[in-house]
Formats: sequence, structure tokens, C-alpha cells
Amino acid sequence: MILDRQYYLNIFCTDERGMEELIATALRHGGNYCDLFFESSSNTDLVLQDGEVSSGGFSEDYGVGIRVLNGEKTGYAYAESTEWDAMKKSAEAASAIASGSVPSGPAISSPAYRGRPNPAADRYPMEIDWRKKSISDLIPYLTRLESLVRAKDSRIDKLQAVISSEVRDILMYNSLGELKYDTRPTGAIILSATFSQGNVTENKYVSRSLMAGAEMISDALLEEMAEDIVNGIDERFAARRPKGGRMPVVMGAGSSGILLHEAMGHAFEADFNRKGQSVFSGRMGQRICPRGINVIDDGTIRGNRGAVNFDDELVPGQKTYMVEDGVLSSYLHDRISAAYYGVKPTGNGRRESFRYHPLPRMRATYMEGCDARPEDIIASVRKGIFVDEFSNGQVKIGEGDFTFYVKSGFLIENGRLTMPIKDINVIGNGPQALADISMVGNDFKMDKGASVCGKGQEVQVSLGIPTVLINNLTVGGE
Amino acid sequence: MEKITEQEIGLGRECLSLALSKGASAARIIIDKNTTNSIETLNGEIDKVSHCMDKSLSISIFADGRYGSFSTNRIDGDHLSEFVENAVKTTAMLAVDRCRMLPSPERCCKEAADGDELGLYDLMIEAMNSDMRRSVSLKASIFAETKNHKELPWELISEEGEYSDTLSDFLLIDSNGTFCRHTESSFDYSVEMTVADKDGNRYSGFDWDGCCRLDDLDIMNCGRNALGMAVAGIGPGNVESGKYNVVIDARNSRKLLNPLIRALRGEELHQNNSFLKDSLGKSVLPQGLTLVECSRKCGEAGARLFDHEGVDIPAGPVIENGVVKKYFLNTRMSGKLGLPPTVDGLYHPQLLPFPEKGLDRDAILALCGDGIYVTGFNGGNYNHATGNFSYGIEGFAFRNGKITHPVREMVFTGNFLRLWSGLLAVGSDNFPEHGKMMPTLAFAQADLSA
Repeated sequence: MILDRQYYLNIFCTDERGMEELIATALRHGGNYCDLFFESSSNTDLVLQDGEVSSGGFSEDYGVGIRVLNGEKTGYAYAESTEWDAMKKSAEAASAIASGSVPSGPAISSPAYRGRPNPAADRYPMEIDWRKKSISDLIPYLTRLESLVRAKDSRIDKLQAVISSEVRDILMYNSLGELKYDTRPTGAIILSATFSQGNVTENKYVSRSLMAGAEMISDALLEEMAEDIVNGIDERFAARRPKGGRMPVVMGAGSSGILLHEAMGHAFEADFNRKGQSVFSGRMGQRICPRGINVIDDGTIRGNRGAVNFDDELVPGQKTYMVEDGVLSSYLHDRISAAYYGVKPTGNGRRESFRYHPLPRMRATYMEGCDARPEDIIASVRKGIFVDEFSNGQVKIGEGDFTFYVKSGFLIENGRLTMPIKDINVIGNGPQALADISMVGNDFKMDKGASVCGKGQEVQVSLGIPTVLINNLTVGGE
Repeated sequence: MEKITEQEIGLGRECLSLALSKGASAARIIIDKNTTNSIETLNGEIDKVSHCMDKSLSISIFADGRYGSFSTNRIDGDHLSEFVENAVKTTAMLAVDRCRMLPSPERCCKEAADGDELGLYDLMIEAMNSDMRRSVSLKASIFAETKNHKELPWELISEEGEYSDTLSDFLLIDSNGTFCRHTESSFDYSVEMTVADKDGNRYSGFDWDGCCRLDDLDIMNCGRNALGMAVAGIGPGNVESGKYNVVIDARNSRKLLNPLIRALRGEELHQNNSFLKDSLGKSVLPQGLTLVECSRKCGEAGARLFDHEGVDIPAGPVIENGVVKKYFLNTRMSGKLGLPPTVDGLYHPQLLPFPEKGLDRDAILALCGDGIYVTGFNGGNYNHATGNFSYGIEGFAFRNGKITHPVREMVFTGNFLRLWSGLLAVGSDNFPEHGKMMPTLAFAQADLSA
């Protein structure tokens, strides 16, 4: 949501003259760039447990982050108040990076976009402001969700449902005279359940999240979530661990985008490459996947968790092709790395809150669909696994070794899905896995869950992929 | 650097009174204040300086069986009044949960009035200034001396170090008169070294140290240890999938202990999402496993006198010779599960040595003979309800107690109850990891996939 400029100036009790004065204070020891990141956020959580919405609350956070760059070097501090004395103290702390040192590396001297934020181009409009919604209006959604779920499966033992919302008012200003502002809403519904069958217990988790207001909650959404949490639970009870080892892995459409996030996305973040640490350092312009594969990191999808009108260093959100026709075509840049590589920033400078300085971070990362039918992909595998539900992943940037944890899937035997499998980790090496992609489906799907990416600080992201076959990954098993 | 002031304590008390006057039947306030200064270095030069000061006020409202929790970082009188009023109004909209209440005063800690009763506050933190921090950070760097070495079979790509010091001050007061304070300083250094072999393949190593007294911080060995780990990983060899004795390095063994601790928490037990449900008083773990709470060890990071409800944390066994002696039950979970309340978690755990005292890593490798020595985990997770786990690992193969070659891209899979039943050894080489004293561990015949 983009409101009137004065709305944001009023929240933070400031104006352009005051911000310029603060920047001048921050740059008084030198440095060649400074930006200010004002933020006022409010969160609300409501929790249904044991059939009642008996827990909930809200939190609020307010402050301004001040960053000084001296070439590639960073000074950062923040104040939890916008009173002048508090901000001045933080500006002086951030200025320390330039004290007694000469700039190293290229300076940021070009504005990214001088224009004002355009409400008509807003990527996350909020029709119903979460802040104006009483929690008594939200409670019935949780109780309805519980009824829907319990009606579908009598094996549910415990069920917990959460509605979580956050609204962040952001105002940014920098030493290039750029001013940007917007209001970022995020809503999430999270459902977790334990199921009992005989003396066996299983659990399942489902989430939906959008950058949108309370209008995102609908009967259709609740019904879809209720259906999702009970779907596949028979297979979960029947599932076993496969025999481990190296084998082909078919990644189902949607949440298997975790492959892109871990196997390539982090290693394409330009800070790692600027420092020479990434397994993909120095490989720009080289073929890293088979022909026909396009991998994108996108900040322009309306309502998506990775959407940005402007990133957290005032650069317009954009769609960035990281891999085009199998060739590495762009890293994910913040302003520092863009200046280092002499390219335009890609709008990936993001941060968790005003307490953190921005870093190159993913937004919505996905692979475009190709032409294979998913059933043909599965049919092509003699012995392997199909996976379609995950909980988490990780990567070692230098070595390129990535992993993801599989909550559910199936064995593939002679081209058919057979025994359900669960609770296994899959590990591979990024460059090798990308080279080993042999089929890409025509069934692209964006995941709808509340994905979070951690890199010393957390940001919300999303991911997507069509069904994909990787010829050789190491699968955990007994 | 600023601790919680008398004025802020006064504001906290005013919030309690206001909450009661607006309709709360009881309330708890937590004021949390932290100041962190950090210096990051890249290749022996200062790369980033940062200064962070946080303070927050959280209030838990109990009103006629209803409960809500709220927090703000806008700690000024006028705003707080409106904040507390809204908190009470919001709580009134929630459903009744009769298990929500403050802990009884007799269970609460009465020895934490000053904050420094455990000797975790080093006055040096107040003396630290920008020049001293820069000096410590740069002194720890080994980039220049390593980069200038000629004729090495590998190249040093980067050294990223971070020094930080933090002053944390935590205050809990409630409407029953509980007053608990915990003040702690911490000094930390971490470093990641990345090297490349002659083919350009990259390998990284990481090391860190942290303590509550500056004099105890050992920064000088971190870079060398991290570099040693990176270089030792060059040229990983193959191993077959199969069953192996597994030795877990002390710096990584918390990964296998944390799930046991979590499975004893009331929240997990109540959600029927614990592989240790119905285990209280039972011998469900091996005889060699004894886990104790050492909350009152003065001067050791992680020591703590009270939990997040202000309840006194007694030292003592949690698991004794394989028998589960305690669940972690706060006041609400005690009510939900119909069991006596304890504390809400394990704060400063220690595993007792097994099968004898004095075993270090090398002795444990010798004891195990052949197997895989795990020096790092890469992702993975576990099923809380069943205890089935699967983790990516890296480390070294060993034969006859001696390391032979590095391994990586392997998956370690099993079930926690079965894994711990094959416990071979608990070392005496405790590494203080985030307040936990973690030793080298060894397990028999675990499943590894490669």
C-alpha cells in the first residue's frame, strides 16, 4: 500500500530537511553514501489451541536505521526513537566506519530511480487494514477452520491454528536525494496438527501467506487449507524410509522450489561472489544448466511474499533472470555489489527490519516451465524418489553442498509411484545438481506457504518450480 | 552501554498498576535491554562497524482466566498508558483458559535482586571503546601472514571475522511481588576461512569462541582452527552407504542433544508432538546418559537463577542413568497436563562422562576404532512426534582410531531413541556452546548414506 508522503513523514516526525541534516551528521567523518530506513511495524498473533482462541497479543516496533558506506565498507547503527538526540547519536556511531580511513572500492553515485512511489503501481495493496481489524473479527475464522479440519479426519488428536499479521510503514531517504515510502502488509495462516492412529502419531503443517490485508482470508482459503492438512495423511502413516544412497530425484511442482533457493539462489547472492566465496564465483556468462532452463528471482509478483515496490535501499523492485537458457546471466545485487561489478542494482537489497543493514537477498525465486508432462518425468525413472513436501533447507556457499528435508514423497519403481516415504534429508552439490537436471515439466506452480529465509537476519520469500528430474542426488535412508 | 534504569523499573511498576486498574487480575512485566557493538573484518581489514541498542517492554495480562501477551519498544510514559489499556481490552476478547496464571510466589526466585549474583557481568564491557574493539578484531586476523605464504597447495580466498560484545539486562516483575533481574556481559569472536584448491574448488572452515569475561576470550586460535578445518576438507574421498560408528565433534554435538531437551518440554508433550511422551520416571534412554541442569554455576555463560516466569531454577538431574527425571512444565503446561510445575526449560545443561571420565576426542576415536567423525552438519531436521531424523553431514573417515580422509555430501539418518540406545561414549572435553556444555559423543552403527 502506498499512502501520501506526508503520512509517513508524520509517523516518523521528520521532514526532508531533518533527514538531510541527519545524513550530513552521518557523513561528517567522510564516507560516500548514506541511507536512512525508518520503520514502524505492528504485529498481531491469534492462536487457537484445544478448541479455543485463548492466546493472542500484539507487538509494535519503531525506529530508524542509519547506514554509512565508505566504498564497500559499512557503518551501521539504529535508534529506537526519532527524537533528534537519539538519531544523532546513532548517526555518529555509523559514521565511525569512515573515521580515519580512505574509501575502498567504487562509490555509489547514481540514483536508482528519482521518481516518487506510484500508488497505481503498488504490488501489495491492502483493502482491509489489519491494524483496523479487531481480533474479535478474526477469532471466528480460526474456530471455523478448526471445525472444517476436524470434520475431515477423526484421527486428529491436537490442532493448532494461528492467524498472524504484520504491517510495516517504511520511509527511506538517502544521500543521493532519493525518497521512497510504502506500507507493507503480510498475513499468514498457519495450521499444524497431530494425528493418532493406533499407537502411532504423525504431524503435519500447512501455511498460506500473502502480502495483503485481511481480505486475504476467505471461506475458500480456509477450505483449501483444511483439505491440504488432511490430504496425504494416510500415506504419512504408511510411509517408510527408503534405502539411502545416490539416485534420481523427481521434485514435484511448487514447494520443490526449495531446490533453486538452496542449490543456486544463495550462491548467486552477489556479496558471496564479490568476496570470491561462492561456488559460482567467476562463472558469469557460463553454462550452468542444460539449454532451455530459465531461473528467475522476482520482486514484481503482486501480493507475493517476495514482492517489493522498492527494496530496502530504495531500488525499484524488478524481475531478474539469474539463468537464461541455461547460462548464468545475473547475480542478485545490492547497491554495494552492483557498484563493485559495475552493473545496475537488481532490487535485492533487503533487511529484516531497521535493526539490520541490507544484504543481497532473494525475493520470489522460481524456474519457468518447459514442455515435459509430469507423468512422463516420473515414468522415465526406473528407481528413485518423488518428493513434494519440505520443511527446511541449507547450503554451504563455498563448497556448494545443499540439503533439503523431505516431509513426504514416494519411491519410484519402474516409472511408477509406489511406497510413501517421509523424514529424509537429501543432499547434493549445486553446480552438479543443476547440470544434472534432465527434464523440466510444463506444470509450473508457485508455492503459497510462509517461507522464511535466514542469512543472519530473516526475510520473507517465496519459491516455485515445475516438476523437475535431477539425475543424481544423495538420499538419506536406513 | 546502559543497564535498565531506576526510571524504567518505575515505568514497569506503573504499567503493572495500570493493568490492574484497567481490569487485569494479574500481570507480569519484562524489560529487556541489550547493547551490542560489533566489528567485522574482511581479509584483515575493517569491513563493517555496528552499534545496536535495543530495549523492549513486554506485558502479560491475566484477566478472569483470559491471557494475552504484548510488547513494545516505545517506552515512554504517555505511549505506555495507551499500550497497556489496549492490551487489557484485547485480552478481554480472548477465550478463558483456566491454566493461565502467574506462578505461585513461593516457587519464584528471590535471589536475583541485583542481576549479577552469578558473576556473569564483566565491568570491562563498560571500558570497551571503538579503538579497543578495532584492535581486538585486527589482532585476531591471520590473513596477511597466511596469504603471503608461497608454494602452498591451496589459496586463501577470504577471511571473514566478527568481534562483538553485548551487555544484556533482563528484568521480570509481576503483580505477586516477584522481582528478578539477570545481567550478563558477553564477548564473542567468530571467523570463517575459505580456501581454494588448485582446481578452484572452495572449502570453508568456521570457528568461534564466546564467554562472559573478556580475559577468557581466546581469539588467537580461532583463525588457525578455521583455516585448519578448511584445508583439512580438501580432496574429500568416497565412502559407501552403510552402518558406521559415528563420533560427533564437541562443537556440533548439541544438534543431537537439543531434540531430547525439546521433547521434554510441556508444549511438545501437550500437543502430543514429542517422541518422549509418557517417559517421565521411565528408563527410555541408555544407562550411560546422564543430563544435569547446572543453572547455578557461577561465572559460566548460560547459568541462570530464574526462568521466563520468574520461577527458581534448581540444579539437578534431568535424565539420570537413562531415566527421565523431569519434564519442563511452566505453570500453564502443568495445568494442562495435570502434573506438578517445574521450570520452562533447560538453561545450562551438562552431560556427564561415559563410560569413564577423562575421554577426549582422540581417546573416543580410538575407542570406536573405525567410523566417521562428524565435524559439521548441513541442514536436516527431525519428526518431533516420532524422533526420526535425517541430517546432512561432513567430516572425516577414521580407521583404527586415526583420521584417514575428509568426507562430505553424506546423510546421517535414524531415530533418536535408537541412536541414543547405541551410545558408546560421552567425552569430558566440554565445549561451552551457547550456554550448553557439550562434549564429544560417539554412537554405534548409525545409518549413513553417500
